[in-house]
Amino acid sequence: MNNPLDRRRFLTSAVLGSAGVVAGATALGSLAPEAVAAPMPKLDKNGIDPNFAEGRITAINGSMLMVTASDRSFHRIQLTKATSVWKLRPTTMDQAKVGDGLYARGVRMPDGVLAADALWLNIVNLEAHIVSMGTNVLHLDHNGNRLVGHVVPGTTAAVYNGTPAVRDLSMLQVGKHAQVIGAWRPDTNEVDIATVYAAAA
Amino acid sequence: MLQTLAALAPLPVGVLLLLASRVKLLGKNTPEVARRSALRKLVGDERVVGAYRAVGAGELVLGALLVLPPSSVVEAAVATAACAGLLGYLGYARLKAPDSSCGCLSEKVAPVRWRSFARAALMLVTAAVALGAPGYWLGAIADRPLATVGLLAGWFALASALSAELDGYWLVPLRRLRVRLSHPLGKFVPGIPLESTMDILYRSAEYRSAVGLIRSDVLEWWDEGTWRIVTFAARNGDEHGTAVFAVPLAGDGEIKAVLVPADEPVAA
Repeated sequence: MNNPLDRRRFLTSAVLGSAGVVAGATALGSLAPEAVAAPMPKLDKNGIDPNFAEGRITAINGSMLMVTASDRSFHRIQLTKATSVWKLRPTTMDQAKVGDGLYARGVRMPDGVLAADALWLNIVNLEAHIVSMGTNVLHLDHNGNRLVGHVVPGTTAAVYNGTPAVRDLSMLQVGKHAQVIGAWRPDTNEVDIATVYAAAA
Repeated sequence: MLQTLAALAPLPVGVLLLLASRVKLLGKNTPEVARRSALRKLVGDERVVGAYRAVGAGELVLGALLVLPPSSVVEAAVATAACAGLLGYLGYARLKAPDSSCGCLSEKVAPVRWRSFARAALMLVTAAVALGAPGYWLGAIADRPLATVGLLAGWFALASALSAELDGYWLVPLRRLRVRLSHPLGKFVPGIPLESTMDILYRSAEYRSAVGLIRSDVLEWWDEGTWRIVTFAARNGDEHGTAVFAVPLAGDGEIKAVLVPADEPVAA
């Protein structure tokens, strides 16, 4: 099962039930409700969430990320095969680069390492105005500052009026408000756009 | 020609000052506009509305003096000093309150940028030229109507182009027209975005029944015929596994879900 394609084939047949021989597989719908209502860890009212980290990657050591948070605290974040990594799209841990900003959620180990369940690299959420458009580029005004939003064909999606996402960006309008979820290009005023939310006329 | 220019100069400066005072004295949301401006930083919270109105009153008086006869060198000198003061104010706003709005010519939010400086410089130069005015501007227009009206039109066009507040009237429609003609984002890209699938999945009973077990965001996704397969890391007590969902690409119909136990150590 080391070949990723074999693994995908295995998981596909498991979920679609065509093989019908998945040992130990549980249909998720039949899980007991107690499992859903798993107790949430209690948080100190004014304390920080130990299972969350943010910051920028200062070094990478194998699958361990060294991160400096915005309050200058230092975090070690351990990635595993079960860690989801987002960088403009779901991707793999080798996409994490020194200088990337990140948000990570996971479980804090006794030695202080955060074993990450999910990692979002360079993710930004911007409320902006569309100032102008070019080929695969949206020029955005964010609180008076200019940003360049790059459209990535095949990845960038648009949500109009809250309806399901589509690839068609032609309904975006100059001068209108837009919310952009995207991946920041570190130390620039440029973002790659994952999803743009806008009102269609 | 120079005499004509000088005689004409008080008129555009005066008109612009009158327009500016209109916003400050007759605007519908003057207190809000005042608080958004850099004046707030300069004179403090309590006095900002009063100061803003006082500036408006000053602009009204000076604008009226410049536009109405007679023409005098004192008016022009005061206007020149006022425009120099405006440049100073803009510099202060840029340095000390870069997020504030200019509050100059309209109630629209327009942060101080190079265009604000260019417009103030244009006013300063014009007011300085007015120092040499040989007489009232009406005389100059009567002497050479075509040239003077053309000059004035050009001046106001330049001042409008330098006013971020007025972009909505000409720049945005122009850019919209260009987008309508060139369709920079109109290229057809086939395929259904993952976002669309996730929207369906997150609202499904299958996902919600399993959400307590799911530990990660999307691990992997791929398309298989009419299905889109999405996987998550899952944990049930001490058991690790992979939650696998199959969502119909068409968006309607049954969603399939299964929890596959880990068949290999999770550690990388």
